[in-house]
Amino acid sequence: MPLIKKEDPEDSLDERLQNQARIEELVSDGDDAFEDEDENGASDDSGIPFPGKPSKRQRKMPPWLQQATINLFHDELVTTTSEAQQKVTAECLPLLTEEDTGIFSLNTYGLPHLRRDQHASFLRAQLERLPAQYQVIDASRPWLFYWTMAGLSFLGQDVSSYRDQLIATVSPLQNPGGGFGGGHGQLSHCAGTYATVLALAAVGGLRMVDRKAMWHWLGSVKQSDGGFCMAVGAEEDIRGAYCAMTILTLLNLPLELPPDAPSRKHGLTSFTDKLGEWVGKCQTYEGGIAGAPTNEAHGAYAFCALACLSILDAPAVSIPKYLDVPALVAWLAARQTTPEGGFQGRQEKLVDACYSHWVGGCWDLIQAALPDNSTLGEDGKDIWNRAALIRYLITCCQQPGKKGGMRDKPSTRPDAYHTCYSVAGLSHAQNHYRYNNNNQPSSEGRLTAAFNWTASPPTEAEMREWKVDKEDLVEFVHPVFVLPMGVVEAARREFEQGGF
Amino acid sequence: MGKYSDDPAWADVTPLPTDEGGPNPLAAIAYSEEYEETMSYLRAAMAANEFSPRVLDLTEDLIDMNPAHYTVWLYRAHCLFAINSDLKEELDWLNETALQHQKNYQIWHHRMLILDKLDSCEGEGEFVERMFEKDAKNYHVWSYRQWLVKRFALWENGELEFTEKLIEKDVRNNSAWNHRWYVINGREGEGVRGITDPRIREREVDFAEVAVAKAPQNQSPWSYLRGIARKGGMPLSSLKDFVSQYASLEQPDEVRSSHALDMMAEILAEEDNGKQQAGAALDMLAQKYDPIRKNYWEYRKGMLGLPSAAA
Repeated sequence: MPLIKKEDPEDSLDERLQNQARIEELVSDGDDAFEDEDENGASDDSGIPFPGKPSKRQRKMPPWLQQATINLFHDELVTTTSEAQQKVTAECLPLLTEEDTGIFSLNTYGLPHLRRDQHASFLRAQLERLPAQYQVIDASRPWLFYWTMAGLSFLGQDVSSYRDQLIATVSPLQNPGGGFGGGHGQLSHCAGTYATVLALAAVGGLRMVDRKAMWHWLGSVKQSDGGFCMAVGAEEDIRGAYCAMTILTLLNLPLELPPDAPSRKHGLTSFTDKLGEWVGKCQTYEGGIAGAPTNEAHGAYAFCALACLSILDAPAVSIPKYLDVPALVAWLAARQTTPEGGFQGRQEKLVDACYSHWVGGCWDLIQAALPDNSTLGEDGKDIWNRAALIRYLITCCQQPGKKGGMRDKPSTRPDAYHTCYSVAGLSHAQNHYRYNNNNQPSSEGRLTAAFNWTASPPTEAEMREWKVDKEDLVEFVHPVFVLPMGVVEAARREFEQGGF
Repeated sequence: MGKYSDDPAWADVTPLPTDEGGPNPLAAIAYSEEYEETMSYLRAAMAANEFSPRVLDLTEDLIDMNPAHYTVWLYRAHCLFAINSDLKEELDWLNETALQHQKNYQIWHHRMLILDKLDSCEGEGEFVERMFEKDAKNYHVWSYRQWLVKRFALWENGELEFTEKLIEKDVRNNSAWNHRWYVINGREGEGVRGITDPRIREREVDFAEVAVAKAPQNQSPWSYLRGIARKGGMPLSSLKDFVSQYASLEQPDEVRSSHALDMMAEILAEEDNGKQQAGAALDMLAQKYDPIRKNYWEYRKGMLGLPSAAA
């Protein structure tokens, strides 16, 4: 039983560092790390819970957790993939079926409560001085700022008290040529800049950004094929497109390319030129979206693609214009793993809590892209399973013990990345997000589509259905910018004038 | 006191120490003295735009301490080209580094820059294959492999057989399936037909069908078949006999794969008067064979436009 290992033996820093270092690129390959470090534990005494092993208690389980369903489709052929999958199912099932939740306090429906205070203090601890072993994240510290500020905000904590400290901390990261690097003296990078700008927005500190220099720098990473490189001379991928468009829109920078942008030589004049087409090229034969054309479809890139398109225009306009929507919906739906209920990032890979946001967040965007005459009625009937995701996050991904934090899966350690995106995922699952056409009149030169979202909490009936207590609701998360709604609105107003 | 400050070869450089941004920085890292010093000299070198053999050594030191440091990698590449360094030597060093830091991302971009300049990919296929022994789904390595195939026109140098070997090893390795798709269809732009060529299409359908037989609940070959239908102009209905071995309405208790039942629903929906039956297949998925996706199957049923689809 993974959870009964009481006192976490002094959190092996190595493992945590591994977890943190590998997401410097915005995308987690958590499954891989898991396979490496999984040897100790979880399964010796519990045995494989299927097929046919009777459940100890006769609690009424949702359909996907009933024994008859769990017993379906166990192909005999054993491969690396099936072995890894079987281990994960075995470590999750006792938690999912409430046989092993004794150490948590339970809500009205017998599921654990959200351990809000512990997760918040876990995130706050990430901002303390870090030991030398953290050198390996020296190029991705801006992510720590974002994951903590965003994660704390989603948990309902006030982060404005970090404003002065954050501004001071990121000042040496801003380069005179525009943008932010991972640290002092490091080259500007789309990921680091995205993370810094969002963290600053969360604390109300965007004023310190040199917007004009930022505009020039973004011009230097725009490519003639329509996409964006992560840094000058670095790789071109879809993260660049989403990060750049987010920065541009929040700061209300001119859409026109700066005069010195290299892509002007190829006839481009605007940041949006050929961008939708480039994103469209990333859709693969599977229906999902890859990091770059012809690569493998991956959940984190699906979010980047949908969010980028949702910045360009209303989702119902831009998403069907560039993507095969039914194929993408089918691909996304297939990423919810059974019986775990969370999402995997790729076909035949393992569930990982971070995809609660990367894939879970796709639903807000793509459901807004479906035609009005579809079956999605006014009552907001969904095409995915919120209750299953909530159960996975609440039962399998909360670290027990004083330290809190959320984790990829029970056999892994919590980290800021998984905590932030687990809580964001919980918000996608608990709340409703609606795109309102023409809510925001488009103002000259600014893309306003992404400012047209509103959010609402679940109804009482939904909370019963999804087994959520009111006290465990988390804050609204903006479906495109992954920030609190109010923070996005404040940024919209702050730079309404445009110009420099 | 330090490797660089004590070295006469660096005596002309004034290091630029880390600016922490004030007395109370957030998440400040307590750097080791060695790292702090090396970074200070790198900052100074970069500020002076220095490209030299000593800067190459400096970047190597830093990469050893922090292989995820993208700035150092980019600067190193710049430096290598600026001083016409021996790129074969660079590759040897890179081989060791890559094996130590398998999940590192920058290494692969760097390698790409080097090989492109070298204009040779000798031994590269084998090297990449070794990387797959530890993790056969490493996203960056696969993306690198795609680049290799394209840059050096390796389309017909055993690449298809390579995907076959990896799929044979683990039929659920979706990355290998994706690569297979790429090898076959990656030259459409150059006018080389992939699955739109009927002979190739037939071969690939056979290949996927054999894979399904090994593990019917493995989604990879099902997606591959669906991709062939979608992109290759093949009606899904041509797969009906095959699919019915794994899921058919006549034997509702003998479904061997939810993916087969999904595909059957789609095939039926395209038939004249098949929509009722398609709806029945989707009901089976929602109620029995894949209840976690009940909402999705109901959505799909709604899309059929059946009369009075109430409940």
